[in-house]
Amino acid sequence: MSTTTTKSGLARARQGLAPGGPGGGAPNRKSKLSAQTRRTFFWLLLPSIVLLILINGYPLIYAGVQATHDGSLIETGNFVGVDNFASVVASEAFWKAARFTLLFTIVGVFGSWAVGLGLALLLRTKIPAGGLFKVLLLLPWVVPIVVSSTAWNWLVGTPDSLIPAMFRNLGLGTPLFLADPTLAAITVMVFKVWVSFPFMMMMTSAALASVDGTVYEAASMDGASRWQQFSQITLPLTARSTYISWILMTIFCVNDFPTIYLLTGGGPVDATTSLVVLAYRTVFQDFQTGPGVAIAFLMTITLVVVSVLLYRQIRKSSVE
Amino acid sequence: MSAAVHTQPQSRSALGASGTTKGTGKSKRVLSDAGMRGRWWRFTLILAITAVVLVPIMVTVVLAFSPSPTSTATGFTFENFGNVFSQTLASTWLSNSLITTLSTVVVSVAVAAPAGYVLSRGRSKAVSGYSLLLFVMQSLPIITSVVPLFILFAGLGLVDNLMGLTIIYVGSTMTVATWMMAAYFDSIPISLEEASWIDGCSVFGSFTKVVLRNSLPGILSTAIFAFLLAWNDYLVAIVFLRSSEIFTLPMGVQSFFQQNQTDWTSVMALAVVMMLPPIIVFATLNKYFSVGGIGGSLAGR
Repeated sequence: MSTTTTKSGLARARQGLAPGGPGGGAPNRKSKLSAQTRRTFFWLLLPSIVLLILINGYPLIYAGVQATHDGSLIETGNFVGVDNFASVVASEAFWKAARFTLLFTIVGVFGSWAVGLGLALLLRTKIPAGGLFKVLLLLPWVVPIVVSSTAWNWLVGTPDSLIPAMFRNLGLGTPLFLADPTLAAITVMVFKVWVSFPFMMMMTSAALASVDGTVYEAASMDGASRWQQFSQITLPLTARSTYISWILMTIFCVNDFPTIYLLTGGGPVDATTSLVVLAYRTVFQDFQTGPGVAIAFLMTITLVVVSVLLYRQIRKSSVE
Repeated sequence: MSAAVHTQPQSRSALGASGTTKGTGKSKRVLSDAGMRGRWWRFTLILAITAVVLVPIMVTVVLAFSPSPTSTATGFTFENFGNVFSQTLASTWLSNSLITTLSTVVVSVAVAAPAGYVLSRGRSKAVSGYSLLLFVMQSLPIITSVVPLFILFAGLGLVDNLMGLTIIYVGSTMTVATWMMAAYFDSIPISLEEASWIDGCSVFGSFTKVVLRNSLPGILSTAIFAFLLAWNDYLVAIVFLRSSEIFTLPMGVQSFFQQNQTDWTSVMALAVVMMLPPIIVFATLNKYFSVGGIGGSLAGR
């Protein structure tokens, strides 16, 4: 970055020429931005700050207000303290949704990571038409969820759909992929992995491309097996990227709404209701704004804590 | 997965054949038999996996071009597309989606580029604090802000309104877009700007005339990101849009699907219309979009 500036005469001249006026020969231009530069930076940042306050900051604070009031979508209502939180935490539905969200996230993150990693490793080797496969395999991620969920519905939606019919013809019975609670949960997770693995594949491919090939040559000369090369070179050298992709995918999974809602609507009998789906339903179908926002708020607080911790962790690992 | 396993015996015979032809022919390349076999085995494996993975997309396309049960046409037909556009508000939904998405792309790049520049070049406490704030905001579930925004926008007349939708999309793409731009600006040497400062350019002038001019790949990848997010969104649309003439395509497809559960060919024709723009964007601009860039921008801050 900027620290690579060479010590040429020009560079020394630049140090005295801080943007927006002479910097009085300050040794480090970066630490002493002139007042005018700072003003410019402020104006460049302003639209972003305004949007952040309006679209992200204000709603978050107002959500705090709603979570502690018994209002509706029209009025704020009366202050009820932590009553909403208490009723949410006491409800069976909340914990059921929390358990499903946890399972959905774990399967979504590690399932898509495993598939993405496997395909990235496979595509790294020389394969005829490898580039074409790389693009084709991104399609599940590029195609809108509304479209792919419709297609999945056609494939597994009713007992007479293509895949249940195939099972029946093979004499394996007729699995009710979206009507049986356990199977529906599995189907939603498989769908999530199907949607997300291309993202993981791209992340992993980028990380693999940055690993120096000569490391493997050296390792195979020393007699390292394929597995040893994978577990002791590939995994450690791509660890930071893996870590980041897990964090992003965790956020994507916890916050996910359409993947679940469009395939099952949260059913059957709430078997696939995640916290986001529960919050949406509580507010917009049961019209209980307070408890609904309280659910979303509990989720938010958990995510903020987790993401700040993880952010620190990434910074630490990128400094090392 | 099972299909992949099934194809293994096939692949062995296939590569046996290719192996012999290569062996008898002029094998100028120094590729060992085992290496060659491994290559074709992997090819068959990836072919099988790709075929299985793409089944849902293929059925969508096949059904969209198949005659509906009530139709007299046979074989390949565009009839479903005609029906969908004449009998539903598909063209309105398509133009609503295009307007919202393109406005989102333009505005979020216009907001994120300058902010990303400050994040990239400014090294003060305030700037890195802002960077952390963006990270935290990005990870917040939209569902939390959707309810308060609904109430706020109801007061401003922005519910059931494409402009309201666009504002929210810009707000929710802006955080990641800002990082992506910052990561790209990091790769532009500061000496370029310094040279323009010597020539008497202001900071703002050098940003627009020097930095932005050299940032097309960064801008395009940010634009693709914003495009995909706005085009595919369902949650914000389902909360904010009420009347069918204001629907964007996700809402249109979904409502049409719910009303015509059995009319699969028409539903799939509409689905094809919806998935075409992102696929076109991706196919033409694929090289500019590196997800690694998003991850890298995260790690670097």
